Amino acid sequence: MRIEISGLTKTYRGGVAALDGLDLVVPTGMFGLLGANGAGKTTLMRILAGLVRPTSGRVTVSGHDMGTGAGRTAVQHALGYLPQDLGVYPDLTARQFLDYVALLKGMDDRAARRRRVGELLEVVALTGDADRRLRGFSGGMRQRVGIAQALLADPRLLIVDEPTAGLDPEERIRFRTLLSQFAGRRTVLLSTHIVDDIAQTCREVAVLARGRLIFRGTVDELTHRARGRVWSIVTDGPPPAEGTVVSALPHDGGMRYRVVAPAAPGPQARPVDPALEDGYLALTAR
Amino acid sequence: MTSQTARALGASLRYEFRMQVRKPSVWIVPALTVVLFLLIGGSLLRDLFDPDESSDDARTTVVGLAVQVHTLLSIGYGCLLADRLVRDDRLRVAPILDATPARPSARLVGKYLGAGAATAVPILAVYFGFAAAYAVHTGAPDALGWALATCAVVIVPGLLFVAAFALAVPLIMPAPLFRVFFVGYWLWGNVVAPDMMPTLARTLIHPLGGYPLDALLDFHGIDGGDTWAGPVPGATLNFLRPDPTPTTAWLSIAVLLALAAVALAGGHAVRARRA
Ligand SMILES: Nc1ncnc2c1ncn2[C@@H]1O[C@H](COP(=O)(O)OP(=O)(O)OP(=O)(O)O)[C@@H](O)[C@H]1O
Ligand SMILES: [Mg+2]
Repeated sequence: MRIEISGLTKTYRGGVAALDGLDLVVPTGMFGLLGANGAGKTTLMRILAGLVRPTSGRVTVSGHDMGTGAGRTAVQHALGYLPQDLGVYPDLTARQFLDYVALLKGMDDRAARRRRVGELLEVVALTGDADRRLRGFSGGMRQRVGIAQALLADPRLLIVDEPTAGLDPEERIRFRTLLSQFAGRRTVLLSTHIVDDIAQTCREVAVLARGRLIFRGTVDELTHRARGRVWSIVTDGPPPAEGTVVSALPHDGGMRYRVVAPAAPGPQARPVDPALEDGYLALTAR
Repeated sequence: MTSQTARALGASLRYEFRMQVRKPSVWIVPALTVVLFLLIGGSLLRDLFDPDESSDDARTTVVGLAVQVHTLLSIGYGCLLADRLVRDDRLRVAPILDATPARPSARLVGKYLGAGAATAVPILAVYFGFAAAYAVHTGAPDALGWALATCAVVIVPGLLFVAAFALAVPLIMPAPLFRVFFVGYWLWGNVVAPDMMPTLARTLIHPLGGYPLDALLDFHGIDGGDTWAGPVPGATLNFLRPDPTPTTAWLSIAVLLALAAVALAGGHAVRARRA
């Protein structure tokens, strides 16, 4: 499913312009969305999920106009959505909650619904806890229930807002692998602050800043933004004053710093190969 | 209504019923209310079983029981439903449900009927429990028939009216504040005499069902000297108090249900506007 966004603006009551004239095309496949806190990622995803109406601008998904009720319903029939700040009914079990969402998604066949719910509980490794009330679930377990509900009814458009927040490393890696396998001919829009998750799963990425698009291209292109700007420097003095310190590790009595800066931050600095995170920092650091 | 809408309604109804009926407070609140009422000397049991106080007539007795149970337990009923709609936002479940293709209006009606029915289960259990005990005690099986009829024309419309407002009003004020207003309204509307200050008592929109009690069930109090419908000399709002007849009784039921629908539609509009 192809998403086309033009001139999209959302001004919340109180005057915060969360999106400010955004133009963006999201093709089929995995697509990453990066941006600082408050950049407008969640707002964009809520508009795409049909939860929030834009102030102005136009959004179409596979040709369906999200500005109309019929268009939103058509998109929602194909949608799996994992909100950033998700909640569950504490008085239901994981299996019941998934069954309820599946019913609302129009999965009417009882046997098929049960089978799918069972499969997804297996996928998110909750089979053993499936019949416990959600009240007793940890944050990461709830997040996995959220992931499972997003995958119900085989969505052709999957919108996941910081899906790996709160997951342990093993689950996080399992989930991002699952996502890229799932993508195939579907569209998966992934927003995250864990740049590595995007590096490992997406070919294309967009970066938002204050409601505007500041980058759209391949992951490699974003990485290359930092080419010639990433430095490693070992010192027992103070950290380099220039640029953004990416990491600081104790090294032989001093510290080894990784720095993103336009020029070498000192005579001992030597250039190193950039990673996606460096590209993101080179783009956003001003 | 399309079959998809019907299924979304059915799914919400089923799950909202299930969640609400398992809530301990849904059972504890009415049970405590009845116990407290009996402890402070309420006449519930005497009206049923005390030969000096009870009526000879099975119909009068079970309709009188309905008036007591309905007046008493509707207070908790409204309070227990006040969190049902707003909790979807508070629990942050709303985005997941709103992102499904199920129509929000169908989900709202499903929630209304499901949670409303679940909260009514203990009330109906109390009512039919006492009515059955009375029927057995006095050997009057027709008491159960009158209990069913009273339930249909007095209790159910009243509860449907209360439930709609209990769901919708907390969208525009905090649920605890709604509860305070609701309890206040219930006491004011039902206890204060209409000629002392304006009240909805004895009007067509009285959720206690004065018109059906008077004109459909021919009930005028356990002693036969009371009425809950019709004009009161010197009271305001008398234009809402036509003389009780079967027609005005059915009209009163229709008005209560129509106002419930208006409250729900208003709640739906408030939620839709927030998108
Ligand atoms: N419901 C709301 N009412 C008012 N302002 C809001 C609302 N939701 C978001 N905002 C504002 O809109 C801007 C964008 O918020 P949004 O949640 O879209 O950012 P984000 O990129 O998802 O941030 P994060 O990385 O922290 O999740 C912020 O300035 C935020 O304060
Ligand atoms: Mg966000």
